[in-house]
Amino acid sequence: MNDDELRQRMSAADPASTLPPGDPAGVARLVEDVMSTELTTENRETGTRERSRLTWVVAAAAVLVIAGAGFFGVRALTGDDPTSDPVATEPASVELAVSDTAGSGKCMVPTPEALAQAQVAFDGTVTSIEGDTVVLEPTTWYAGGPATSVVLDAPSEQMQRVASGVAFEVGGRYLVSAVGGHVTLCGFSAPYSPELAAVYEQAFG
Amino acid sequence: MDESRRERFERVAPGLVEPLRRYLVRRTDPDTAEDVLAETLLVCWRRVDDLPEEPLPWAYGVAANCLRNAERAARRQRRVAAKVAALEPRAPAREPADDPDLGVALGRMRAEDAELLRLWAWEQLTPAEIATVLGITGNAASIRLHRAREKLRIELRKVQRVSGHEGSREGRTS
Repeated sequence: MNDDELRQRMSAADPASTLPPGDPAGVARLVEDVMSTELTTENRETGTRERSRLTWVVAAAAVLVIAGAGFFGVRALTGDDPTSDPVATEPASVELAVSDTAGSGKCMVPTPEALAQAQVAFDGTVTSIEGDTVVLEPTTWYAGGPATSVVLDAPSEQMQRVASGVAFEVGGRYLVSAVGGHVTLCGFSAPYSPELAAVYEQAFG
Repeated sequence: MDESRRERFERVAPGLVEPLRRYLVRRTDPDTAEDVLAETLLVCWRRVDDLPEEPLPWAYGVAANCLRNAERAARRQRRVAAKVAALEPRAPAREPADDPDLGVALGRMRAEDAELLRLWAWEQLTPAEIATVLGITGNAASIRLHRAREKLRIELRKVQRVSGHEGSREGRTS
């Protein structure tokens, strides 16, 4: 099968081949909608910068509520001993991600005041890296714990785009914080250093 | 300055909508395709000053990123849903209709290589354009495309040997 035949065979299996073309009026409307979106609502680039801190706190609270519901939902469904104290049971892991907007904002110097906004903050060691998933074992929880592990979804391309991204290595010790389920970059999350640890202590002490 | 941004986008965007819609329909479910299309156009609008002269390959790259983000969010949601309801997460993979052998053969390849072939055959892109979409050099795109085609031929032969479709398939495609 030569290249042309191969290409032809793939084209024949194109899932979009039966897709009727969109009507021009719809396309024009979509384009118009897109252009007016920026004027009326926030978008990803300006949005996070213009949002008040309160929004983040509310959003974070919502995430925690959902996470809590999920956690207790599982317990309810799996029929755990109803007499056991839920507070005494550590969630197996906390999941974090890198924000899609990472790198689009400006960095500020890590200060205890800014860091105190984080709902998750810990000192931990990377136990494994598989693909884009980094697993950390926390040793000290400043906020958001306890959990036996933290699973971080850290696509390398996204991390690379951020000049101040954190290069995670297995066995390395890191200070990590997160707002609204997203890891803070810009030096707020970084390999362990006594200076940064002092900022963490101050923020959550 | 604002007016020129508008003019540029109004000139360029209508030509992007249809190919982007097709690109997305090929790779995800219809609802997600609609959402990600709007998202992709928003990014193009916001970054209209960055749009290259040939904007489509660049816009495919944007769409690919937006789709990855949407799917990552959906996976996360499904993980929570799966925990709560003990549901099986559904596989988002799309299989070419009417040609199961091809679907199997593509599925056995590395995802990046299969995607390279889709960009080549479905979006009908040149290696240079593929390079723009994937953010790699033109040279790398050419080499990887060449290898991916070889690999697909090998996988197709393997699959066809197993399914015994070789005779009828050859007749259909030649």
